[in-house]
Amino acid sequence: MLESYFPVFVFILVGIAFGFAPVLTGLIVAPHRPDSEKLSPYECGFEAFEDARMKFDVRYYLIAIIFILFDLEVAFLLPWATIFKEIANTDSVRWFGFIEMMVFIAILVVGYLYAWAKGALDWE
Amino acid sequence: MEFKTFVFYFLSAILVFAALRVITSRNPVHAALFLVLAFFTASGVWLLLQAEFLAMALVLVYVGAVMVLFLFVVMMLDINLDRLREGFWGYLPMGAIIALLMVGEMGLVLGGNYLGLFESSVRQAGADESNVQAIGRLMFTEYVYPFELASVILLVGIVAAVALTQREKRKNKSVNPSQQVFVKARDRVRVLQMPAEKRD
Amino acid sequence: MTLAEMQFQTPELRLASAEIFMLVMACLILMLDLFVKDRKRTVTFVATQLTLVGAAVVTFATTSGDIGYTFSNMYVGDLLGDVLKLLLYLTVIVVLFYSRGYILERPQMARGEYYALTLFATLGMMVMISANHFLTVYLGLELLSLSLYAMVAMNRDSVPATEAAMKYFVLGALASGLLLYGMSMIYGATGTLEITAVAERLYMGQVDRGILVFGLVFLVSGIAFKLGVVPFHMWIPDVYHGAPTAVTLFIATAPKLAAFAIVVRMLVNGLIVMAPDWQMMLILLSVLSMAIGNIAAIAQTNLKRMLAYSAISHMGFMLLGMVTGVANGDARFALNAYSSSMFYVVTYVLTSAGTFGMILLLARGGLESDELEDLKGLNKRSPWFAAMMMMMMFSMAGIPFFVGFFAKFSVLQAVVAAGYLWLALVAVFFSLIGCFYYLRVVKIMYFDQPTNSLPIIAPLDMKILMSANGLAVALLGIFPQALMSICAFALLRSL
Repeated sequence: MLESYFPVFVFILVGIAFGFAPVLTGLIVAPHRPDSEKLSPYECGFEAFEDARMKFDVRYYLIAIIFILFDLEVAFLLPWATIFKEIANTDSVRWFGFIEMMVFIAILVVGYLYAWAKGALDWE
Repeated sequence: MEFKTFVFYFLSAILVFAALRVITSRNPVHAALFLVLAFFTASGVWLLLQAEFLAMALVLVYVGAVMVLFLFVVMMLDINLDRLREGFWGYLPMGAIIALLMVGEMGLVLGGNYLGLFESSVRQAGADESNVQAIGRLMFTEYVYPFELASVILLVGIVAAVALTQREKRKNKSVNPSQQVFVKARDRVRVLQMPAEKRD
Repeated sequence: MTLAEMQFQTPELRLASAEIFMLVMACLILMLDLFVKDRKRTVTFVATQLTLVGAAVVTFATTSGDIGYTFSNMYVGDLLGDVLKLLLYLTVIVVLFYSRGYILERPQMARGEYYALTLFATLGMMVMISANHFLTVYLGLELLSLSLYAMVAMNRDSVPATEAAMKYFVLGALASGLLLYGMSMIYGATGTLEITAVAERLYMGQVDRGILVFGLVFLVSGIAFKLGVVPFHMWIPDVYHGAPTAVTLFIATAPKLAAFAIVVRMLVNGLIVMAPDWQMMLILLSVLSMAIGNIAAIAQTNLKRMLAYSAISHMGFMLLGMVTGVANGDARFALNAYSSSMFYVVTYVLTSAGTFGMILLLARGGLESDELEDLKGLNKRSPWFAAMMMMMMFSMAGIPFFVGFFAKFSVLQAVVAAGYLWLALVAVFFSLIGCFYYLRVVKIMYFDQPTNSLPIIAPLDMKILMSANGLAVALLGIFPQALMSICAFALLRSL
């Protein structure tokens, strides 16, 4: 029932409060005496001369996308893990449920080997 | 109004607001962060429907992973913010008209039937049944075929990502310490014998 | 409900053995390629072609002519599927032969991934062809699309190709979204996603029609996007034009077969009760496509772009056969109508393969040859290939006694039989407009002076294949009956 999510709800509220509280405390308690020098951007004593945003190397993106794909794989493993015992105890799906997951993993291992061999996992 | 209905409208309002900010905020990083908020509230709506596994997966996969990718992409592109937004107001009237039309049509079609949808033949899960296990039972029996296809799609994703971004080894000037310590004197200095030349 | 209570039956894998074979071989080739040092990837190429031949053997060996379901009714094996799959393998084999020279001249594309992605795309199309579940349709489609996006973008240093890939990806994702939304509505109305079960529940008639029609609109929009018919055609010209010609050839041929298959699976097998509703939508799409496709093609100076608009008009014409299956609640002509559509799509794929193959044949030395200008005086450079191209153009225009004529004729026959005389007249009118730009190509080849007089150099296998392709267009025009009866028989045994 929905009531069983109540602890989650409380947890989220506490989490939010925990994040906001230090910032708010700082805002309220700390002294604020800004002047133009304090507010100016500081970059090793120079005037800031370029945008803080810069191009990232495409390799970050490659690592991130490979991470997502294997992250998704793990998301599929979770339901399997929760009913693994049940699979093992049911005659009709005992081997089927096991082999199925192995095939799933094997297909992704092909992708892993491919990415590895192509050097996508090296940073040089 | 029931508390559940109130929560639904509350979350939906945040969701719509966040989605609107995704396409209207001037800063792409802010847009990406609003998308995080949108995903997060969407997972809240799913929790309301008692689909806790899906809600969890949404947070883990989308908020945790896909958004990281989004931020990387946003930062990877050299975006000229002002130029990016130039066309927006020009397209707004047309887009707004189409959006309103679609909302109107949906209202007309669904109108009275809307509540009927929830009482349709879609089976409701038992209240105390674990969602993750129920999904697992279906996924590893009846849904084998889509399940394996999903892994093939993930594989194609890996192949496509690597094939499209992986460049040949670039020439960089980094040194490899393990090779460095094995260096011998003769690798460093080469003594050449040259006959002296007379200069005139 | 526990697993023991579910009465689950282990799927019969034999029915899906072609898909399994294809998957295993695609993975093996991906691995094999890691060890190939050869820059020309001859080993990978040969292995890929052998895989396609092997898949054809497997499909042929397991075909039974009966309808069989497996994987909890998510997969259907029937004669329609087997025929379409065999045609699919043949198309992909021909496409790979045509593309070989082109991709060898582009080092970015001549990589093992190109072949692996081709096989995965083929697997996606096989899944679509044999789908009996909306989810399977969707997954097959995604597998196909994802591979195609990557293949379009493969030539990374080409700006038009990257732009085309971007447009294809964004619009393709939008189309997938529409399709999924439509499917979810159908699930909401019927409580199932299994295509045959949806059909059963619709026969029973305890279904909310409003939601169903609503879902149907989105479903048809999604299909229209993938078929590339007006008003969902925007991506076709840009993608055909921007993509490397070898990939354009692939996109312009094989996926049309799979798209036809999902139209039959979803609309005919699943939603035939809703035929009056979707037929109205398809009529609109079809008329608009024939009009805009044929008129816009006239204005093009680029051959690939012109053929893209021509593809739009041809898909519109193909849909005509689908709209005439059920007339006034009478499904007597359904078989005739759908088999005319199938014949149309098969012959279009054949002709389209030859036409894009010709562009590949003319493109040499890393240069494209895709402007209409490049065809100037082709007759003086190579009378044989000019004759082949002329036959393709005549066939596409629907000039009598080429295969395209019989395809158009059989569709029109079905349209008239169903009582839509006005629709037939509209179709004929726009086909006549279409003749103009096909004949212009012939005029350019035969009556204009060549701008370059270089002879055409092509490897022998490509010459043979191109000649076979051209002769097939001519021969099927003289003896269309065999292919027509195969189409009719496959549909008869499967619907």
